[in-house]
Amino acid sequence: MTEPALSLRGLTKSFDKKVVDALDLEIAAGELYALLGPNGAGKTTTLRMVTGLTRPDAGAIHIFGIDALAEPQAAKALTAWLPDEPMLYDKLSPAEYLAFVAGLWRIPPAEAAPEAERLLKWLELWDQRDQRCEGFSRGMKQKVALAGALIHRPRLLVLDEPLTGLDATMARAVKDALRAAVDAGATVVITTHILEVAEHMADRIGIIAGGRLLAEGTLAELRERAGSDDMTLEDVFIRLTSPLSATA
Amino acid sequence: MNALIRRAAPGRFPWLVRHELRVALRPRARGRSTVVAAIVLALYFGLGLLTAYALRGVALTPSAALLTAVLAATIVITSFMTTQAVLASQRTLFDGGDLDLLLSAPIPPRTVVLAKLTAIAASIVLTFAALVLPIVLPTALLGHSGLFGVPALLVAMALVAACLGLAITLVVVRIAGPRAARTVGQIVAALLAGAIFLVSQIISQHPGARRSGGVTLYEWFSAHHVGTDGIGALPGRAALGDPLAILTLLGGALALFALAGYALDRGFLRSYQTGGVRLSPRAGRASSRAITRHFRAGLFATMFAKEWRLLARDPALAFQIVLRLIYLAPFVVVSLGHDGGAPVAPTLAFISVVGAGQVVGSLAWIAISGEDAPDLLAVAPIDRRQAERAKLASALAMAAPIALLLPAAIAVFTPLGAMVTLVFTAFGGAMAGLIELKWQKPMKRSAFLRRRSGSLLTGALTFLVTGLAGLMAGAIVWLLA
Repeated sequence: MTEPALSLRGLTKSFDKKVVDALDLEIAAGELYALLGPNGAGKTTTLRMVTGLTRPDAGAIHIFGIDALAEPQAAKALTAWLPDEPMLYDKLSPAEYLAFVAGLWRIPPAEAAPEAERLLKWLELWDQRDQRCEGFSRGMKQKVALAGALIHRPRLLVLDEPLTGLDATMARAVKDALRAAVDAGATVVITTHILEVAEHMADRIGIIAGGRLLAEGTLAELRERAGSDDMTLEDVFIRLTSPLSATA
Repeated sequence: MNALIRRAAPGRFPWLVRHELRVALRPRARGRSTVVAAIVLALYFGLGLLTAYALRGVALTPSAALLTAVLAATIVITSFMTTQAVLASQRTLFDGGDLDLLLSAPIPPRTVVLAKLTAIAASIVLTFAALVLPIVLPTALLGHSGLFGVPALLVAMALVAACLGLAITLVVVRIAGPRAARTVGQIVAALLAGAIFLVSQIISQHPGARRSGGVTLYEWFSAHHVGTDGIGALPGRAALGDPLAILTLLGGALALFALAGYALDRGFLRSYQTGGVRLSPRAGRASSRAITRHFRAGLFATMFAKEWRLLARDPALAFQIVLRLIYLAPFVVVSLGHDGGAPVAPTLAFISVVGAGQVVGSLAWIAISGEDAPDLLAVAPIDRRQAERAKLASALAMAAPIALLLPAAIAVFTPLGAMVTLVFTAFGGAMAGLIELKWQKPMKRSAFLRRRSGSLLTGALTFLVTGLAGLMAGAIVWLLA
């Protein structure tokens, strides 16, 4: 049996109140998994714990079998993180930024430079490769950050609201890049408020609320759970997360 | 007054001023720093009480000496206030997040400009009131009631400085263009801050003039009978409570303030609108050189390339670091500039060590605390301490060429002393970097100028450690010379 790409067991985190509550989740390798939930459901906190940015209070995180809490560097070497606010340096150009990220992941220059060239051309940033990011639109910045996330060929790509604020063309480019990453064997975990994206792209969908996993499965399985075969994901989402339906 | 402002109709000038003052004067952070600031202020106020007690029997009459001294102090303080106003105007124009909102609202731009000017003047008054009033107010309360004119003088000076600061900023934007305005503006601000020092040094070339800054200015004014009567005497008379002088200065400042609002509103609007150009990508074709030139093997090389590029492309920030060295110049000049001054080589050794501390401390802060993408480093498969060591090494490497300058000069006097200085300079730099590393406090890189308000400890400790190391280096060089 192959190792799951991501395995969470009893993951718990509290700030002023409990944000993630004994969350269990398993995502198979090569899947595109969409994590949905209302605002404050604990999605971002969960992903930040996966990427090592937030320390959990309890629980276990395994990335391709590696204990991410005990061996964070080994786990990080396989993972890429793309938040909604791109982690960029305004005064670096896309080419310089990719060189920096490749250096952090210790990718040999002979390997990283051709990959950077491929990504910049693919994401239509090649002509802007020597311009500083400070004047870029939000969409262009997000594409540079995506190239940074892909340059070290991660096996697990974790994205938090990557399509926020992007126009249709840019959003399409990002979606194509994610699909291509999955086709190449990577695992993608994505949070989004754009349910249409999850509906059309995700292999499996998890719905989280109050730090707990309410439901999980393919769209068909979620529809079945919500009690109707012809519901849109939006209807399913509202049905499963609405307080009225929970008490009904 | 407050009740009047509260009742002011929304969108009108008093209402907007109230909003601006609330935003400008709201404390940035609460907690330990606030407690420390309150304790320091209380101690300072205690010093004011002692001063007031000591002065209770002394008559403060508008003598020629006192009037001249107040004029000199007014000029010095106004130059600092104008520097602060230039920097605040830049922040308002280029960093202020609310100008889009204010200028898109149905409010005349002139009202917005005047409200912003009021906020700038208020923040300046607050800064200087904290420095001056704890001494002045107890003295005024204990028998020298005329000194209640000092707050009025401060307000008049701040209003004038705010107008000058905004006017200078707009002229800089006009001449240098929006792209370079920020950098040129900071250079102008620094020159303004150092203007009195520079003027005093020019005056110091005259026989008998050995002191610097405000004292030299006072001596020059006294020698030339400036400030004893007429307009020059107004600040002194106002500070001592002369109602006519207070009215004249405050009235003049308010008239200038109104005139500035009338004259500068269009320039302000144009500067703000063209400021958007600063953010647009520079036109230009991509380099034909291979992309491989950017890629480096090893963490240090990667980190150094990034830190060096970020600093080299932010001339305003780089200039702030150079300023640390310029601010050390008075020590050198005062130490060496007259008969019987300190010996050259040991003084240079001291300056070298303290200067290295300032430069490395600043560079280390930029690299470590001022990291713009901390999450990127946190998710990278590198040990945090390893990354920080690479950043510290980058800071040391960037400072190395500057650190070689004074030891090279000392080598003319004593080659062995130069070696000793080099060792202590490296030690001072390393210690300053380690202090920044140990007590790092993540902030925005753009907050470089305000970093000390975030951590008084690192600043004081750096001065203490590098000062002691500098004294040791100076003593050894003195023995060797």
